[in-house]
Amino acid sequence: MSIIIGILEEGLIYAILALGVYITYKILDFPDLSVDGTFPLGAAVTAMLILKDVPPVLTLLLAFLAGALAGCITGFIHVKLRVRDLLSGIIMMTALYSVNLRIAGKANLPIFSKETIFDNPLLQQLFPEALKPYRVTLILLLITVICKILLDQYLNTRSGYLLRAVGDNDGLVTSLAKDKGLVKLVGLAIANGFVALAGCVYCQQKGFFEISTGTGAIVIGLANVIIGTKLFKNLRLPGRDAAAEGGAKRQRGMKATTAVILGSLVYRGCVALAISLGMAASDLKLVTSVLFLIILVMSNRKGKKVVSHA
Amino acid sequence: MLELNHIQKYYNAGTVHEMCMFNDFSMKIAEGEFVSVVGSNGSGKTSLLNIICGSIPLDSGNICINGVDITHMPEYRRQRRIGRVYQNPAMGTCPSMTILENMSLADNKGKPFNLRRGTDKRRIDFYREQLRFLGLGLEDKLYVKVGVLSGGQRQAMALLMSTMTDIEFLILDEHTAALDPKTAETIMELTGKVVREKNLTTIMVTHNLRYAVEYGNRLVMMHQGQAILDEKGEAKAAIRIEDILDKFNEISIECGN
Amino acid sequence: MKKGMTRILAMAMAVSMMAGCSSGKPTETAADTKEAAANTAEDTTAAGDTNESATEKAEMTTEEAYTIGIGQFAEHGSLDNCREGFLKGLAEEGIVEGQNLTVLYENAQTDGGTASQIMANFLAKDVDMICAIATPIAQSAYSAARDTKIPVIYTAVTDPVLAELAGEDGTPVGEITGTSDKLPVKEQLEMIRTLLPDAKTIGILYSTSEINSASTIEEYKAAAPQYGFEIVESGISGTADIPLATDNLLEKVDCLNNLTDNTVVSVLPMILDKAAKKNIPVFGSEIEQVKIGCLATMGLDYVSLGAQTGRMAAQVLKGEKKASEMKFEVITEASFYGNTKVAENLGLTIPRELSDTATELFDEIVTE
Repeated sequence: MSIIIGILEEGLIYAILALGVYITYKILDFPDLSVDGTFPLGAAVTAMLILKDVPPVLTLLLAFLAGALAGCITGFIHVKLRVRDLLSGIIMMTALYSVNLRIAGKANLPIFSKETIFDNPLLQQLFPEALKPYRVTLILLLITVICKILLDQYLNTRSGYLLRAVGDNDGLVTSLAKDKGLVKLVGLAIANGFVALAGCVYCQQKGFFEISTGTGAIVIGLANVIIGTKLFKNLRLPGRDAAAEGGAKRQRGMKATTAVILGSLVYRGCVALAISLGMAASDLKLVTSVLFLIILVMSNRKGKKVVSHA
Repeated sequence: MLELNHIQKYYNAGTVHEMCMFNDFSMKIAEGEFVSVVGSNGSGKTSLLNIICGSIPLDSGNICINGVDITHMPEYRRQRRIGRVYQNPAMGTCPSMTILENMSLADNKGKPFNLRRGTDKRRIDFYREQLRFLGLGLEDKLYVKVGVLSGGQRQAMALLMSTMTDIEFLILDEHTAALDPKTAETIMELTGKVVREKNLTTIMVTHNLRYAVEYGNRLVMMHQGQAILDEKGEAKAAIRIEDILDKFNEISIECGN
Repeated sequence: MKKGMTRILAMAMAVSMMAGCSSGKPTETAADTKEAAANTAEDTTAAGDTNESATEKAEMTTEEAYTIGIGQFAEHGSLDNCREGFLKGLAEEGIVEGQNLTVLYENAQTDGGTASQIMANFLAKDVDMICAIATPIAQSAYSAARDTKIPVIYTAVTDPVLAELAGEDGTPVGEITGTSDKLPVKEQLEMIRTLLPDAKTIGILYSTSEINSASTIEEYKAAAPQYGFEIVESGISGTADIPLATDNLLEKVDCLNNLTDNTVVSVLPMILDKAAKKNIPVFGSEIEQVKIGCLATMGLDYVSLGAQTGRMAAQVLKGEKKASEMKFEVITEASFYGNTKVAENLGLTIPRELSDTATELFDEIVTE
């Protein structure tokens, strides 16, 4: 049981990160490496604020804003200074390492003794004793679902439509008399906001900020997104075959955001499985890469089949 | 009214590959004109469109719309008054979004892109009606992603989308060139219909001489950055394909081909 | 739906296949550790004795078997010694690996994410105790085990108070206690003074991302004037910065002093090489560093630090005390280690007052 809780907890935290990466990687088609810096940025901001006795719930918002600001800067470097997308991310990621150290003041900032969103007097009263062991999981689930709904809602606004259009065909955005650079900037801001929010939740759940936590965040995020979208996105919910209705009705395929969250859980599950089967933790990165590759290759195969039948 | 005054444009200025595209080129397009532009490759047709839309900067000269100088206006701001359909059908639509979403995007052109719902449900019937006008059955596929449509269907949508809001100019950049003859014919008929219905000032670049002759009330032939043929009204109506072909041959001989 | 399921299954199979290939690894590591433990036991006769009596004790007293999950943050000599000592300490108390103790060992390779994954795994395996080696993983362990009844024993945490694993007075914040590897700063400075009577400046390289180093630097800066030294610090953000920083520092100082900074220690041989070319002595912070070419140290014996931790762990496992009732412990007396070969290369002799009290003197530079 505790292993399932462990998978859920880690998986849900990284699902928030994955929602951010989904925006940049899938929607904007922008390989944003600043994620490796904004994830610990969220954690650093949170640790610092909590030590200053800022209410834990408020840190969620502030961490999101901090991440959004970092995303804006990445966007500015890319759009206005015309630096290539990959490089803009690398520049930002590198700069954030120092910024994070400055914000936290040191490389490791524990907040064990402070109240967090997972551990405060109000919660102690609110949660019945029987649910105590699942407290963290339930709160995480709540936050992740709220994030997902907000993102879904946003993607259905006019602004969200533009965001989806810019990654698809930025020429069209220009045709719509909108500055495509600005749209990209907004997208990067929202994406990095989510990533920093994940960092914030991570920090509160673990009880400390540690500068090394960001390393590889982008890889985890990408893995989650790719696993999710490749495995679940085309899964049709039973009983509703939209294709048969000729698209006259709204399609009921799984939403990409849901798929990404599930992908994150599957990824964590695989990692946990690998470790519990006796794989050394140092080999985990290899497992990730191979898992990655298997899914990519599998989905390519499927793609080909569809084409040949068409 | 669109005015191009003393346009100067060099490509690769200052290098050995320097090439003069336009040298003191001027042109006026009056409201309600449908201009067909023909010319050999490299004659400056597409460059002309790019200059009007602001996709490429000018070396000197200015561009005015209704007397307002727009020479230094960024491309995306100019597009508010301009609708453009490209040669590549993929350029005018968003493949990963549904037909309905694409229609909504186009419908919101010129409005603030804020946090209001992307698709106004009350407009759906209007979109259906517009799509029915295309006669391609797209009105029954509102929730289908545009990416699965054929090139012709997409181009029809692109045409519809670029003319959905109130625009002053419609710019057609060889918009039938990538389509099969049958589809090209359909799209061209549609174009004629749309332009007539909305009374749009239109500039159409085409390699299809028949379209150039059949459609529009003005015909311009470009050669080496100059308009070597420019006929409107009755003179334009009298032009036959053979006349244009003769002119082409003339140029070729001049060039020593 | 069905297709999706098959795919998930296929994936799981692939992962388990991969895992299967290397599932021999942990046992291998365990064997290594045991071997190492045996070696040290041979070296010191006293330890050998305790080992024997420990085995007897184990047979006599208890049938109970324990499982301990050891999570180590990084792979380097000091921490390895800690782990080795920990098992030795447990053995002294009759808890012997392979007999009544199963050890699960994982190394996080300095990755915070992996550290928490390791802890989740230990919890899932329902271990009787978690042993965490080094600060970040100790924090991961605490945060993971907070809501469970599983006690955590840490070691090589320089400042448990700063890491919020213990209160100001040393009492644990929960079911967690252990030992600190706080460096004996004053003793080290005094030793440097004895060896280098004319030296004025001491250079220290440290990585800005390691909290232990930052606090130790402060301590050095505070204590240095008493011994007539000035500290020249140079912060680095990764191993890539070290060559330049070292060259730069060597221009300015009379000697270098090395902390337990994980990043710096991992490239120590390179630093030693650069310093040797300039004939500048480098002081270490623990035995392993002296072995590979530091001149000397008033340092910690991480094996005995580990052993002390192991004994504490044994008390908790046997139910004699709860972790929350035990304050964290430090090694009070520092021991002197010197390397006569290095001294010879530098044209120095280690004064008798130091060499006579030395816990161990090396007469060669061990390069692996």
